[in-house]
Amino acid sequence: MTETKDTLNSYTKSMDLFQRALKVLPAGIPGHQGPVQSQFIPTTAYPLYADRVKDSYFWDLDGNKFIDYMCAYGPNVLGYNNDVVEAAAREQYEKGNCMALPGRKQVEFAELLVDTIEMADWAFFMKNGGDATGFARLIAHAATGREKVIMVEGGYHGVAPWTQSVTHAGITDGDVGNNLTVPWNDTAAVERLVKKYPRRIAAFIATPYDHRVFADNVLPAEGYWQKIRKICDENGIVLIIDDVRCGFRLDLGGSARYFGFEPDLACYCKALANGYPVSAVVGKDSLKDAASKVFYTGSYWSSAAPMAAGVACINELKRLDGANLMIEKGKKLTEGLVKAAAAEDLTLKISGVPSMFYMRLINDDSLMMQQEFCAECARRGVFFTSHHNHFINCSLTDEDISQTIQVASEAFAVVAKNNPGRLNR
Amino acid sequence: MMDSTVLARCNLFAVLKGMEYLAEHDPVSAGLIEGRELSIQFIIARGPRGCLAFSGGRAEMKRGKHKSSIVLYFNSPEHFNKMIAGEANPVPLKGFTRLGFLTGPFMKLADRLDYYLRPTEALLKDPAYFRMNTELTAYTAFFALAEIGNHDSKGRLSAAHMPDGVLQVLVEKGIGVQIHVKRGKLSCVKGHHEDPRAILSFRDLDSAHRVLNGNLDTFTGLGSGEMAMKGFIPMLDHMNPILDLVPLYLS
Repeated sequence: MTETKDTLNSYTKSMDLFQRALKVLPAGIPGHQGPVQSQFIPTTAYPLYADRVKDSYFWDLDGNKFIDYMCAYGPNVLGYNNDVVEAAAREQYEKGNCMALPGRKQVEFAELLVDTIEMADWAFFMKNGGDATGFARLIAHAATGREKVIMVEGGYHGVAPWTQSVTHAGITDGDVGNNLTVPWNDTAAVERLVKKYPRRIAAFIATPYDHRVFADNVLPAEGYWQKIRKICDENGIVLIIDDVRCGFRLDLGGSARYFGFEPDLACYCKALANGYPVSAVVGKDSLKDAASKVFYTGSYWSSAAPMAAGVACINELKRLDGANLMIEKGKKLTEGLVKAAAAEDLTLKISGVPSMFYMRLINDDSLMMQQEFCAECARRGVFFTSHHNHFINCSLTDEDISQTIQVASEAFAVVAKNNPGRLNR
Repeated sequence: MMDSTVLARCNLFAVLKGMEYLAEHDPVSAGLIEGRELSIQFIIARGPRGCLAFSGGRAEMKRGKHKSSIVLYFNSPEHFNKMIAGEANPVPLKGFTRLGFLTGPFMKLADRLDYYLRPTEALLKDPAYFRMNTELTAYTAFFALAEIGNHDSKGRLSAAHMPDGVLQVLVEKGIGVQIHVKRGKLSCVKGHHEDPRAILSFRDLDSAHRVLNGNLDTFTGLGSGEMAMKGFIPMLDHMNPILDLVPLYLS
């Protein structure tokens, strides 16, 4: 029997700290974790700061405990503070982390990734997903001598200027002048661009499937990636897969293997080291020379402890058959959520791969009901967001899933009561 | 970079449109147009056309060409913009017997616009003035936003990405402005919509005033609860870059 909270969460300490933060930090909490970017609607329903974490949970400053389905936006793949990963990182920290030379773990980690990711012949490390996608693009330019890159509309590849829209603050026409965009799953549009810009396209970059925000996630159409591979092969275009978000949650051999194709370059980050800062580009031999020539580095990119954490994390994921485990847990959770919604005459639509499912209520074109649902869940200790895909981690238990569904049932009941005109009845 | 044709559109369909509000809320302005039944057609070469009609104690800015008692011609958008800035005169084409209205009541109406849109610290201490300044500034900004979204090159890029629907901007227990979006085209109307797709709200007039005057950034406002948003947020995400262009045209 699961237990639910007698009283709804309150966030006095979070809000007090946020008021201090607003004076000294732009936006208070910059970036994707801020209350605006995180779609904390209304802000009062959500915690703003975490105090500590373990397994599938975080505790906020006010002592509220949450079952966390954002997993730090992906990095928590084994469970927060996983004992094996923490021990490996601690051991390396005691030996040395940021040093004048790289540690042996850099080589061991590269060997492990080459053994694990099906298409990989080599690996190159940096810190964030955006570092990885930027490096992959540079390699493609270096290898082909071409300037343009095809991207998918709505795709997210980080925050470097080339990844953003020219309408965003700080972005100039020159930053995005060599980007070409196509709709997701539209190979004909890719062919048209290839014809329009002969021998000028260096790369095609996309995520394994369309997991944009604010929209149902869409898997590749049958034969899509194979057709893209063929177009790239026939036209000397480097095929880059941005596996930063999906990586190791679909297939430990890489999401390209899950969808049955081989990219030339693949970018990894979030699930690579269970929260330790390291990202990677892996590639085929044919691009190893270009990767060597591109000058790309950073003060902390060779830090040894995250590499040690990465080795431990990947080995643990292998031991647990982590990708399939998370997919199974995601299926169980989402089936329960759909049933809980139906019990209140609401229809919850699930899309994407279950280990990183996106959910939304139908009859809710504005997402206001979805926002209300997520807010009610947050008030009861389950952390969802209304705009983004969610993340399952390996430590999620059946008890966590049951408790989540119980909380969701209560939240759906509130939504149903407040929106009688939008029910299935 | 500011486009003079877009500025002319803002001046015509956002700034001069403010006379509608004045006629309704400012007793001095209402007195100036009382009993007046006439209209002024603005013809701007290589620019927009609009007609400001005064009838029954109300003012209305209409788009396009209409039957008018006075016709004013401007040889370029720059010419019109200079007239709005008080640095040039129009070329009257029709209504020579009514030019007294232009040089008299209409100029005084323009002064009232200036009075409410260019506040001083002392004036803002008067609650009635504060309310009118804030409301008129809000209307002017969002009507200009629609013009910029439809005609400025960068504004059009953002507008093209705005999902269809109605974006409601409102002050709690106060005024509302609706931005209607259809296939990347924007239109702005006053009032509250019963089923908006997204809502951006200000807790009170003071919050709205500080945001509109650059004294409260939206991230702080949203985080602190002085502002709130809900609904389909991509509408707001793509409106914000257009809103950022408004001061470029109206400052």
